[in-house]
Amino acid sequence: MAATSSSMALAKFSMLGYVGGGRKEVGKRRGFSISAAQQPEVQEPQEVEVQEGKGLKKEKIKPKGTTPRPVEKQVNVQSKNMGREYGGDWLSSVTRHVRIYAAYIDPETCAFDQTQMDKLTIILDPTKEFVWTSETCNKVYSYFQELVDHYEGAPLTEYTLRLIGSDIEHYIRKLLYDGEIKYNMDARVLNFSMGKPRIMFNNNDIQPQDVQ
Amino acid sequence: MQGRLSAWLVKHGLVHRSLGFDYQGIETLQIKPEDWHSIAVILYVYGYNYLRSQCAYDVAPGGLLASVYHLTRIEYGIDQPEEVCIKVFAPRRNPRIPSIFWVWKSADFQERESYDMLGIFYDNHPRLKRILMPESWIGWPLRKDYIAPNFYEIQDAY
Repeated sequence: MAATSSSMALAKFSMLGYVGGGRKEVGKRRGFSISAAQQPEVQEPQEVEVQEGKGLKKEKIKPKGTTPRPVEKQVNVQSKNMGREYGGDWLSSVTRHVRIYAAYIDPETCAFDQTQMDKLTIILDPTKEFVWTSETCNKVYSYFQELVDHYEGAPLTEYTLRLIGSDIEHYIRKLLYDGEIKYNMDARVLNFSMGKPRIMFNNNDIQPQDVQ
Repeated sequence: MQGRLSAWLVKHGLVHRSLGFDYQGIETLQIKPEDWHSIAVILYVYGYNYLRSQCAYDVAPGGLLASVYHLTRIEYGIDQPEEVCIKVFAPRRNPRIPSIFWVWKSADFQERESYDMLGIFYDNHPRLKRILMPESWIGWPLRKDYIAPNFYEIQDAY
């Protein structure tokens, strides 16, 4: 009985879906916790998993706090709710360098668990257009966390995800102009989608020598 | 400056305001939103059996929203059919206009588009929801006070 009622609540929750607020709301409405989708309230920050080899960098976060707190890794993740009977679609914001899904995605197997809609997964630069270090990755991740906290309480819609994704794209552009990341010259597509490379784009400290 | 239809409406005691004629000499009338449904039925009975176009626009920043209907009377053996243009103005705060879907069925998608772009709520429309923009979109894109969100791919996609 307990199992059936909790799974029902989970389904309802994923349909309603709120960034941040949803977890609390469900807790208030019924007394029980949301089983697998729930993480303990206090969680020490873990390292962001960065996989250089695949060029696929992922982070799972919980929508609370300021520094990035990735969701702990799960085992035996199955692709769920991907079928046509669930709408055949998923909540996402997909631009070239930032893909945000309201689901848990396994880093290795890429299993896409759409029942866990209280988590947001970001896939950073899947086409490997930029050269990333773990430091710059973490900057983007913490900015992502900050944005998710900022949008807490907003309805979990494509529009909200798109606002977040666009802000991250602008942030990546800022990183590029500040010289913190640079174009990957070995990328498959080399079309410099954020502007042609140049020297000292945003550097106001150094004056050009030939101007007198 | 009064057209034939305006005179006819006056004769039957129907409230409207004549806005003159457009460049093709088509009579233009303004009708209040609360009168619009009954007058639409009357016009249909009068013989305007064809809704040629329906559109909407934002009159001025902070001003009214307008919904425009072009009606035509189609009969056999006539090469200059009677036409009329109806404008219905609604306040920006609570733009509600009765839907004429149940009079002219072709208003269905047109009114949905007007709703999508300008946020005019058409009462009694059977399925009034967004038609062009995604359903989770916020704001009415063709209003003059609309500020486009700073989405990345919209201005940077190439």
